[in-house]
Amino acid sequence: MFFDLNVKGSSLENNVKLARQASEYGWEHINFSYNQNDFKNALNLSDELKDSLKDIITFNYTLEIKSTNINEIRKAVHKFRNDSLCISVIGGDLKVNRAVLENVKIDVLSRPYLKRYDSGLNHILAKEALKNNVAIELCFEDILKSYLAPRAKIISNFRDIYTLYRKFDFPLILSSRAESIFDVKTTQDFVSVFKQTGLSEDEIISAFKTSKDILEFNKNRKDLIFKGVRRVNDEA
Amino acid sequence: MRLKVLPPTLRKNNRYLTLDIKTTSPITKDELVSMIWDTCIRFQGEAMTSNFNLWVMKFYEIEKTDDYINYKSIVRCQRDFVENVRSSLALTYKYNGNVVSLTTIGISGTIKASQKYI
Repeated sequence: MFFDLNVKGSSLENNVKLARQASEYGWEHINFSYNQNDFKNALNLSDELKDSLKDIITFNYTLEIKSTNINEIRKAVHKFRNDSLCISVIGGDLKVNRAVLENVKIDVLSRPYLKRYDSGLNHILAKEALKNNVAIELCFEDILKSYLAPRAKIISNFRDIYTLYRKFDFPLILSSRAESIFDVKTTQDFVSVFKQTGLSEDEIISAFKTSKDILEFNKNRKDLIFKGVRRVNDEA
Repeated sequence: MRLKVLPPTLRKNNRYLTLDIKTTSPITKDELVSMIWDTCIRFQGEAMTSNFNLWVMKFYEIEKTDDYINYKSIVRCQRDFVENVRSSLALTYKYNGNVVSLTTIGISGTIKASQKYI
């Protein structure tokens, strides 16, 4: 149940350390995220990482696109769509937020509130997120690594997103974005922090389920003809 | 003259949290106490923290590696505020310029039972 789609990937050694720590603290699946420049190299490390983490934890890769150029984002998505089970784009810029939420090929809009004075979402973008099935990602790291006024503002932005989430019911996911073992927390701690910010337990469970659903959906993406119609390999 | 001990029905109900602590530099028990109070007051505020009934019961050094020093500790808090305390502790990131990570790995009703997590 405890899926984390955004753990910052780096060297093989660091990835192994992070994954072991996450497994010890109760996580069942993690996705290492890399930006568009490092993603190809990261895929080459996959076999070695698989050997090291066999029977410890399941893992996969997230392509995390960081750009304010909409064309660049579209090209990167087109290039890596078949190689990646999860594509997320870092938000914050209003144009990027809108373009991402209108693109069905993208799975996640990560941190729409980044470096903003508001949540980066409104009722129109929330409807687009629901229509195109693009999840909004909230990161634990943003609360962890900020303090005093900035932390209060981030939590306030989270609350604004929760209000829209309750009304429009778009996919919402929670992730840690852990960079080192100091950022990895137990699953119960993770849940209690989000409870304190105003999410209910059911909503948190549903957020973890959404993460799982994204991976399941993308496993079958090749067979998808259009939304709701999938090619099946069942002769009976 | 000492106060008479309260009858069980009037005593506060406690829970004991077992903490896993990772730091980049060594810390003492006193520093842990001040770190816990600091993080709780910062995240929950003074009025809320006054309910927590915090007390560091035990403090152990577990291992030293190249990356971090690992400690474990048992911290007492009031039963109805476990969620508030563990969320505050999870949000500790830096103390005196050093990176610190606190996370709760177990909750028990007695100190003896919480020893199994260490």
